[in-house]
Amino acid sequence: MPWTTEITHPFASALHVRRHRLHNGLGLVVLADAGAPIVSYQTWYAVGSRHESPGQTGMAHLFEHLMFGQTRTRPAGEFDRTIERTGGDSNAATWVDWTYYRDSVPARDLALVIALESDRMVNLALEPAVLEAEREVVANERMQRVDDEVEGFADEELSRLAYTIHPYGWPTIGWMEDIRSMGMADVQRFYETYYAPNNATLVVVGDVDEVRLLELVERHYGDIAPAELPAEKRVVEPAQESERRRRFAKPTPAPRLLRGYRAVDQAHADWPALSFVASLLSSGPSSRLHRRLVIEREISLGADCDVGPQRDPGLFRIATQLTREHQAEEAEAEIDAVLADLAERRVDDAELEKVRSVVETDYWGELEGVDGRAEALGHYQTTLGDFRKLFEVAERLSQVTAEDVQHAVRTYLIAERRCSILIDPEGDDGGGVRDDDPSDDGDDGHAAARDDQ
Amino acid sequence: MSARFHFAPAVGTPLCWFSAATRVGAALDPVGREGMTRHVAELARRGAGGLDRAALDSAIDCLGASIEVEVDRDWLSVTATCLERHLDRTVELAASVLADPLLERGEHEMLLRESLHELDDVRDDDASLADRHFHRVCSPGHPYARTALGTQESLARIELAPLADYHASLWAPEHMVVGVAGPMTVARAETVADRVRAAVAGRTGARPPALDVPPFPPGRRIILVDKPKRTQCQVLLGHLAPVYGPGDFVALMPLETAFGGLFSSRLMQEIRVARGWSYGAGCRMSKARAPHWFRMWMAPTADHAADALALTLSLYDKLAAGGLDADEFQLAIHHLTGALPFASATARQRMRLALRHDLLDLPEDFPAQLPALLAALTVDDVREAAGRWLRPRDLCIVMVASADEMVPRLERAGSPPSEIVAYDSY
Repeated sequence: MPWTTEITHPFASALHVRRHRLHNGLGLVVLADAGAPIVSYQTWYAVGSRHESPGQTGMAHLFEHLMFGQTRTRPAGEFDRTIERTGGDSNAATWVDWTYYRDSVPARDLALVIALESDRMVNLALEPAVLEAEREVVANERMQRVDDEVEGFADEELSRLAYTIHPYGWPTIGWMEDIRSMGMADVQRFYETYYAPNNATLVVVGDVDEVRLLELVERHYGDIAPAELPAEKRVVEPAQESERRRRFAKPTPAPRLLRGYRAVDQAHADWPALSFVASLLSSGPSSRLHRRLVIEREISLGADCDVGPQRDPGLFRIATQLTREHQAEEAEAEIDAVLADLAERRVDDAELEKVRSVVETDYWGELEGVDGRAEALGHYQTTLGDFRKLFEVAERLSQVTAEDVQHAVRTYLIAERRCSILIDPEGDDGGGVRDDDPSDDGDDGHAAARDDQ
Repeated sequence: MSARFHFAPAVGTPLCWFSAATRVGAALDPVGREGMTRHVAELARRGAGGLDRAALDSAIDCLGASIEVEVDRDWLSVTATCLERHLDRTVELAASVLADPLLERGEHEMLLRESLHELDDVRDDDASLADRHFHRVCSPGHPYARTALGTQESLARIELAPLADYHASLWAPEHMVVGVAGPMTVARAETVADRVRAAVAGRTGARPPALDVPPFPPGRRIILVDKPKRTQCQVLLGHLAPVYGPGDFVALMPLETAFGGLFSSRLMQEIRVARGWSYGAGCRMSKARAPHWFRMWMAPTADHAADALALTLSLYDKLAAGGLDADEFQLAIHHLTGALPFASATARQRMRLALRHDLLDLPEDFPAQLPALLAALTVDDVREAAGRWLRPRDLCIVMVASADEMVPRLERAGSPPSEIVAYDSY
């Protein structure tokens, strides 16, 4: 079967990307690049924490761990040893909309990695002992990244506050009680449901011969039967009517502020303008928020903004860590003033041009190595259904106007769409959590219990 | 002798990178003024070439570029990233940071305050906190025991007056290394290097002295860094490792790989895979000009920390006594030789690799020599090197945990801490 897509795009210069689909639904995106004798071989499954249910949160992530176990044809540990023997390495990541597995190997070992990945797509042998060990590992990972890390804790609480019914409200790593209680049958069902060729895309970037690659992929994956994928229940998060705030005390030397504004999905026409605003606010030392919070007022260590690149509407986040003698409210006032100015006054051409240059440099920086290129292609193919969106978004970012910026700020970065997490250093009165605003509609007791874990 | 020059051409990207680096790092900070090299290098980035901080930041950002300072214990670098069409202006700005810094008093005082806040940030992150304390206590008196960021006391001693001369002495051309990568000809890259060199032409500086390494303290020491309400315990164990380069460092690379450098390594298999005690576990030898650390690490829960520590010590005893088995050795050799292309896959990586080896006084092609050096090793070579360097009885152990939870557990396990320090004491 011929390749179906060849990209020629101003933002894809020298990137010759092609796409193919096997009869069983397996997608294949290839970017041949002989710059180094290596290959990034990534398998993107269209399953993430959004596909979980309350009570089974963390399933997609726990499963990612289990995928490195034994299969019906290979004993435990062989997957890692085989990859490591080549000089390569492998890893995986789970997020709200996807799970992907990365194998970085010498180009000469392409056939080997195809055999390994096709094997675990269909032959994984789940064992209770392995599940128990990985359950402990994930519990440890959660403690490391959330329970003992203020930033991770704040991220988790922001999502919970912003989403009342949408799955984006629970953490990808899962709630601890769900991690502890997940059963073998649930795990097995998850594998059989979502790990199938028609729910996956292979993204291969590096020193590959496309003809040989396609022949190998057909040989190793061609006989794997597609699964009957469940119809996804579309959950629409209700509109937020007023600001939501939560305040926590943690054993940390300085306060933190994390804001999330209900924004749009990555396919939305306003997403590039919001991404542009994030760069305008916090990319580089002359960016507006960095300059205001860190240099002029000296109340923060830094400021970070981003807008979630997600299939359903994500959050526009503003995060800042205060210096120890200042309070989160001071940062809030400064951020509000900066946003008010952006809403009120048109950004001048010089600043627009500056942000365009920053965005262009960031774009090419993300595409520097084979792994970065594969990750970018895999994300867009899996989240938006078409890897070409990577280049379209880049082009649209380069075309953002002052009016687009003003529209994005006035529409989305407003109090009614805002959720705020405030973290204070723990004093002698202990820790805990409290609603910072009587209008808050969160579940106080639940949050306090979570904090104690 | 002029500054050395390394170039790596790139295709398929409009990005360029260049670095100017010098062989003076934080290990050579004046005694009592730890953090001074980092401070003056960062201060130079906050105003140069007649532009104050705001103007310089704006000039760099307008190009979509970045100019960043990095301070290692052995070296200092200023690295720029930019689009090819902005290369000339970015070089001009970076050269001014090297040659013509303003070193303004207001920025000096603000940077000192920021550094204190960064100390808070380090203390907030348990892994960084463990690392900071491990450096402090592993080998007292060792030049690498000195902190690049500084301490509250040492930062207070840094005055503005001597900084201009100190900064000028850092960037003497005879000790500089310049690296350039990007979509350009070698002639254009040489022009970039020439402009950087010309900016500091005529300056002289003494060659950095050899680092004096004291004997490693005998015995096992457990230093508990007490931080409240921890669910986990960050653990670092280690002692001195050989100098990076041919010889014992290379001979120990298979051991480092098989014991704690891979997912299939002994530590990962025993601590994580078999018992689920920690999200990760591993070991690493630091690459430096003088003997640096061999470190093992893990992050078990408080409940499992004493058992995980005991198991790690037992595994380490066995490693020191017996080295690797033949299968482990072969897998490690295959991995190490096969992994080299990944470290030099992009132009930026190749430039950085050449520059780093130059700064460590190793041949530019040392990474290319590694496969042959590794292939010549035998499992007996590894065992003999292990006998010379692995010291299971002489270990520094740093644990970041809540003392009220951890001390009773360690005492029950027969390994009470030798010292307990507050997490914000350093």
